[in-house]
Amino acid sequence: MTAVLEVEQLGRRFGGLAAVSDVSFSLEEAMVLGVIGPNGAGKSTLINLITGHLKPSTGRVVVDGRDVTGARPWAIADARVARTFQIVKPFRDLTVRENVAIGAMFGPSRAGSTREASARAAEVLERVGLADKADAEPGGLSVADARRLELAKALAMRPRLLLLDEVMAGLRPREIEGALELIRSLKDEGMTLLVVEHVMKAILSISDSVLVMHEGSELVHGKPQEVMEDERVIEAYLGARYAKRMRAQRERAGDA
Amino acid sequence: MTSASSATAPVGLRAVGPRQLIAGALVLGGLVVLVLLPQYFLLSSEQRTLAGVFMFVALAQGWNLIGGFAGYPSFGNVVFFGLGGYTTAILMAKSGVPFWVALPISAVVGVVFAVLVGLPVLRLRGHYFAIATLGVAEGMREVVVNLDGLTGGNSGITVPAVGAEAVTSYPGNTGFYFYFLGLALLATAVVWQVSRSRFGYGLRAIAQDEEAAAAAGINTTRLKVAAFALAGLLTALAGSIYAFQQVTIYPARLFSVDITVLMVVMAVIGGSGTVIGPVIGAVALQFLSEWLRTHYTDLHTFIFGAIIVVAVVLLPMGIVSFTRESIAQRRISLLDTVRAYRL
Repeated sequence: MTAVLEVEQLGRRFGGLAAVSDVSFSLEEAMVLGVIGPNGAGKSTLINLITGHLKPSTGRVVVDGRDVTGARPWAIADARVARTFQIVKPFRDLTVRENVAIGAMFGPSRAGSTREASARAAEVLERVGLADKADAEPGGLSVADARRLELAKALAMRPRLLLLDEVMAGLRPREIEGALELIRSLKDEGMTLLVVEHVMKAILSISDSVLVMHEGSELVHGKPQEVMEDERVIEAYLGARYAKRMRAQRERAGDA
Repeated sequence: MTSASSATAPVGLRAVGPRQLIAGALVLGGLVVLVLLPQYFLLSSEQRTLAGVFMFVALAQGWNLIGGFAGYPSFGNVVFFGLGGYTTAILMAKSGVPFWVALPISAVVGVVFAVLVGLPVLRLRGHYFAIATLGVAEGMREVVVNLDGLTGGNSGITVPAVGAEAVTSYPGNTGFYFYFLGLALLATAVVWQVSRSRFGYGLRAIAQDEEAAAAAGINTTRLKVAAFALAGLLTALAGSIYAFQQVTIYPARLFSVDITVLMVVMAVIGGSGTVIGPVIGAVALQFLSEWLRTHYTDLHTFIFGAIIVVAVVLLPMGIVSFTRESIAQRRISLLDTVRAYRL
């Protein structure tokens, strides 16, 4: 079985700063890879490198066995890859329905007509829970709805691989639960997902594997449970002193 | 709009309702009037004035495609006008080519030039794009001035329009009335088709967020160049007819930045990115300009400029959007925008 997404030693420098360096992983069909890490760890840059919004300085990106390194974003979309943006990017002068219809109008699984695209947009809006705001303008949406729209635009493209950049940021617990449920159902349908998230608890519950990034590189890559207990992760997230205390606690528990 | 209608509306993005039928009937009636007008009512000089109005409708619509829909504010569209005009004049004067052959060749020249210039220049955005296009138009004028063997330089080139030398008989004011009317209709029909097509939605997406458009699978380079080429086509056609109408053309006029500024202002004041806005803008400003010219011989450009400034301050989104908003909110307030922008 070939991987849907293969990333090999991917890197990007901005002047003297290595925003991403030497990141490698491969992602099989219908798997969810969670990517976590503190601010500035290079998570968004990683997505931008995969989707062609930034050109890699080193390494390769292979989608479905096809090398797409350095290709333009629409060419990546042609490989049935869709993404969301951390800072939502709605088309402000179009209605919510038209925004989503755009996603259905272009790319390899595009609708046959604008009318069909609109029908598909209605289905997707129903699915993400935005159907009642189809005729609204995106400017008036709440944070949660704006994130739903961002997701709906990507889903309307019917991707095989979906990259989500912090779609749960700023959501309330119940809204996060809804988003997680949606991600699970997409996975059940065979979609492959890369999910960048800040909310650690949320990501651990849906990911098949988790990549922890720190200062542009891979810190740990493994099963959610392993990652959660890894000392380096605790240190990166909570600081060295906290990690030391945890270790001491664990040792004491072992002695007893 | 109610939530019920949106949930059960699998129809097109913009539905056809009674309002669209009324609009259709009005358009049809207007067309009949415009076709019959010269035969029964208009003086020859009035036909000439209206031909100028139609020409600017076509120019403003051409600009609308690249500046309005795609959001790339070209300040050099006159280059296509000049190229179209000079292609026609040179072909007719030097090679004895009939007008009806020179016209499509001029259009092709406009398209090819738009693609060649668009590929590099459309990589720039905003002010940089505006300045680059302005530079292209100014540069092309200098080229035409300096190629005086072919173009006659600053002393102009004359199309053989009368007598035995004429390759195509001069159609006169009534003829040009219909040529430019046809072109204005063609331009508006093109923009209308674009506005409801995938292409048009793609351009609007590019105008609003090019990065998100590319992520949605839109080949932004191809669509921008196509919009520029379509603008080049319509504008070159206008230049071609204009050259024949004027008989003698000069680089200073055919590549005049004034023409670019007029098409931009007409499209923007009418409503860029809409189908009818540039029509309204071109008609309103051309008539206003004509009227000022006859009533205020010395001050007409000053007054015209002042009116444009006031119009842009009071109607920054254009007449069409302003009217839609006023109808939707059932009130008219010109000062809302002034307050909103703290002018």
